[in-house]
Amino acid sequence: MAGDKIFDDDLLSRCMSCGFCLPSCPTYQLTGEEASSPRGRITLMRAVQEDRLDVTDPTVLAQSQFCLGCRACEPVCPAGVQYGQLLEQWRDTEWQGRRRPLLARALMAMMSWLGMAGITLLGLVRGAAVTRRGSAAAPHLMLGCVERVLYPRVSRSARRLVPALRAPAVQGCCGALHAHNGESAQGRRMAQRLGKQLPGTIVTTSGGCSAHLTHELGADRVVEFSAWIAAGNGPDPASLRPIMLDERGKPLPRHASGGRPARIGLQDSCHLRNAVGVWRQPRELIAHLGEYVEVPNAAGCCGAAGSYSVLRPGDSRAVLAPKLDALAELDLDYLAVVNPGCYRQLAGALKGSRTKVVHLAELLATAAD
Amino acid sequence: MDSTELAGRLAEIVGERHVRTAEGDLEAYARDATPLFRHRPDVVVFPGDAAEVAAVLKLATELSVPVVPRGAGSNLAAATVPLAGGIVLVLTRLTEILEISAPELLARVQPGVSTRALAEAAAGRGLLYVPDPGSQVVSTIGGNVATCAGGLRGLKYGVTRNYVLGLEVVLPTGEIIRTGGRLWKDVAGYDLTRLLTGSEGTLGVITEVTVALVPKPAAARTGVAYFADLAAAGRAVAAVIEAGITPATCEFLDRTCVAAVEDYAHLGLDTQAGALLLFGDDGDPEMVQASLTRIGQVCTEHGATGVTLAESVAASEELLAARRCSLPALSRLGSLTILEDATVPRPKLAEMADRIAAIAARHELTIGTFGHAGDGNLHPTCVLDVHDLDAIERSHAAFGEIFAAALELGGTITGEHGVGAAKLPYLERRLGADQLALLRRIKAAFDPAGILNPGKLGS
Repeated sequence: MAGDKIFDDDLLSRCMSCGFCLPSCPTYQLTGEEASSPRGRITLMRAVQEDRLDVTDPTVLAQSQFCLGCRACEPVCPAGVQYGQLLEQWRDTEWQGRRRPLLARALMAMMSWLGMAGITLLGLVRGAAVTRRGSAAAPHLMLGCVERVLYPRVSRSARRLVPALRAPAVQGCCGALHAHNGESAQGRRMAQRLGKQLPGTIVTTSGGCSAHLTHELGADRVVEFSAWIAAGNGPDPASLRPIMLDERGKPLPRHASGGRPARIGLQDSCHLRNAVGVWRQPRELIAHLGEYVEVPNAAGCCGAAGSYSVLRPGDSRAVLAPKLDALAELDLDYLAVVNPGCYRQLAGALKGSRTKVVHLAELLATAAD
Repeated sequence: MDSTELAGRLAEIVGERHVRTAEGDLEAYARDATPLFRHRPDVVVFPGDAAEVAAVLKLATELSVPVVPRGAGSNLAAATVPLAGGIVLVLTRLTEILEISAPELLARVQPGVSTRALAEAAAGRGLLYVPDPGSQVVSTIGGNVATCAGGLRGLKYGVTRNYVLGLEVVLPTGEIIRTGGRLWKDVAGYDLTRLLTGSEGTLGVITEVTVALVPKPAAARTGVAYFADLAAAGRAVAAVIEAGITPATCEFLDRTCVAAVEDYAHLGLDTQAGALLLFGDDGDPEMVQASLTRIGQVCTEHGATGVTLAESVAASEELLAARRCSLPALSRLGSLTILEDATVPRPKLAEMADRIAAIAARHELTIGTFGHAGDGNLHPTCVLDVHDLDAIERSHAAFGEIFAAALELGGTITGEHGVGAAKLPYLERRLGADQLALLRRIKAAFDPAGILNPGKLGS
């Protein structure tokens, strides 16, 4: 393996093992075991880099899969370790051939089989990607492959709120899924291709896509929707109508009098918060829409983590469990999300509860109608 | 007995789920936060209560297998590196805050509770857990007690040992004892609570801690003063104390540390200054304001080039948080960061700062120094390239000289991190041969088979 280094030495040597990352890590919270902490995983990476452990070591493989990739360890790291990049390098080597989780292989195969046309078609079937050309000078709205299929209302809401946004139906996947699943070169190529398909500024409604695209195309080209609105694009947040509910929690029509403002919480998107640094803006926007309620540990992963909830449903549920307890106590009217993975995870878990899970763009569009 | 057999016996005690023997898991427990020390254990075990700890220790004594107790592994003296292999006994499953008694001003907690979690729980009841180690977000109470952790409030309030009222401890031979208890006043017998506090996991395994709390001060604020160099800041600290003020916090950072902290925290610190003094006080709001103003004045009279007081509680907390991160922030400067810990009497602070600077220059090393100026506790930190073996050699020599200088000035080789494996070679110079021999006899009385944390105190 000599001469064929897996990790960037500079990235790997940044960690000085202080352990400040441990309490931020959802998997360490579950196990209390060093190997399932960011510091412990970096220790494993170092052992692999220095040939003390083989890439086929069962613990090394298990930990590369157990990590959610939420990057909560990055903002709390005083030494500035870029764990997300190390994780991608780790999985690029670790998840080759049979070592890649079976379901991840299936997922990737499906992506390449479907191809861009497939994604577009699925989107069309679901009615998401109805293209309006928008204003030629306006930014492009990225539809997102998962989001356009599962939650077409998100992009429709974004366009209703800002009609000038351009949203061509033919646009690919950003490649975040690939980058996180052992194919970072492919992930990079897909981001570059999307960058060409959507020249100029790209507005995204997905925290995960936003982080990956920002990393690949630069922060000057990619902006997440809530940050973009908060920065003064689209309607003035102060002009939005607070969402009023009757005593049974049902939305009141626009001109009805009385009622109470909706209690709205937010689940951060891990990548949006930890990699892009966007977390204040969605909160500021929600404060215009109703009574903002901070969800305890809103910055902590909900367990969706991209494809994680599909690949490791048991661990995903274990990560989510304390959040559900906290949410039950809050008794919110709405829980806003800014990423389709969190949307799916939380909407599924809160089915039947009084708390309705919605994308922030949907809430904003409702308030602007 | 080979490690598979040992793991089997341990699994009978704690259940198979809580025993690890895979190579990768052993590698993860081969080190703590101390650079340059690494040794894999043979097995890692996660007991769930004191009875399981007792059974593990009894077995280890019977088989003469080394045991290293461990919390979060944030110590900086290689105190939790299993130098002789054997068992690493991890206490992260014991994370319950068992009780907070406001009328008695105390809390009873399990050892795996983080210092931050205890502080927050106490704050929720209007109380303050005083000891405030820099690593409080991750460090555990068990580890704090085992190393007698210090921190940012030492000057006015003391350190961990001043707040430990009682302990439940498992002896290496398997007996479970309770030392001290819930009382401030209790002189029945030798003070084993104090003996065990700072014993670094060499005498017993702590399974429960009772700590004293104090009412939360009504206000707490901080301020910053800039100086030409660390020695000037050190002289100002001596002047502040002489003026009859005892700040709650009095921390200093040299130019190198200020730059690293600013790079991480973006607080708008003056990175051109040679040194920074972070001072803070707590109590009645008016008193705090008066105290900070007075400290600022004394600093100005003693060479401060600028003084600012934090305008809000949040700004104060940001400053303190940034200070707690000095060490990891320093690691931005190089691939290897060796942090050390020496303490001198307060009036010698300036001289010690000068000596460290001279030693660093003579060995051509980058040594940033920060520390708890109010306690005379300095953390000279060498930043270097992990591949530069020659520089690593020179750093060992430099630290040897730094410890010698501390002793010469009437100080000690460690103020708060503990001896661990890293400082053991220097211990005799601090204690003398007779005292060291007594330490070993005490160790033998607790741990006849010598299984607990070999290669550390008492070895």
